[in-house]
Amino acid sequence: MDRLQLPQTERSPLVDFDFDRQRLRLEGESYPEDAAAFFGPLIAALDRYLERLRAEPPAAPLILDLRLAYFNSSSAKAFMNIFQRLEAAARDGVEVQVNWHYQTDDETMMEFGEDFREDFQAARFELCVFD
Amino acid sequence: MSIATQYLDVHQRMRDQGVIFSFVGYVSEGILFSLGEALKQKMRLEETDANVTKRVFSIFVEQVQNIIRYSAERLHAESGTPTEMSSGLITVGRDATHFFVVCGNIVGRAEGEDLRGRLDELARMDPDTIKTYYREKLREPPEEGSRGASIGLIEIARRSTRPIEFGLTELDADRAFFCLKAYI
Repeated sequence: MDRLQLPQTERSPLVDFDFDRQRLRLEGESYPEDAAAFFGPLIAALDRYLERLRAEPPAAPLILDLRLAYFNSSSAKAFMNIFQRLEAAARDGVEVQVNWHYQTDDETMMEFGEDFREDFQAARFELCVFD
Repeated sequence: MSIATQYLDVHQRMRDQGVIFSFVGYVSEGILFSLGEALKQKMRLEETDANVTKRVFSIFVEQVQNIIRYSAERLHAESGTPTEMSSGLITVGRDATHFFVVCGNIVGRAEGEDLRGRLDELARMDPDTIKTYYREKLREPPEEGSRGASIGLIEIARRSTRPIEFGLTELDADRAFFCLKAYI
């Protein structure tokens, strides 16, 4: 599947979905004017991708790296949407790992990470602190 | 009263209340962005704790997006992209102990009552209950007719370090003025 890349903007994160390498990345701040318009196409692409992985589970895990400094509630909703899909794929036998990167002392992002972690059982969810 | 005295009076009264900035009129996503940048810059220059800055900014964004989405006074582009401008009031300030973010806008009376109901419910919750409620709402499919306000309101209540304050006052048979104040 074609790699999906969007540059980081002041209000939207960098997106790098390198499907063939099973590496997905979201990085930056997220409070787009229209969260549905921004995340809709990403989620649609993810759905098509997960469908393929379910049919042919790869040997190596699918890894999603999130490194976010701030996001609004509409974006949080979109992340939850993505996580629910990944967890469902993991339950169907696709190996999934989500890495939640947050800066030391960033209480908000740490708390969000701890919150989101509770939604994963089949998929692995790691909290990764950086300086 | 001269024009200078008249506006000095406005200026002075705002300063006395600790206002950092106040905006009245039509807001758009572009204005949200610019005001948000100014706010972050001001807080950085004053070396405000990064976690406090994030909380203030987060509440500010949710408050302004609520005005943009729910104000009953709004302008739509005739055609093309759905550019929206909605009228409201945004005030960010600081008193002796806390930052505060206030937003006000006109709402339909029925919507206003509904909003007040949701906020009454939130105001009765302790921080742990708010956190659990937020997680529940995050997992739910979007409500019918809603564009995500309830999760935004919960986010405001959650980031606020003191209980949120809010009120509704009737304007006429159909409309009311709604306002919400959060402290950080």
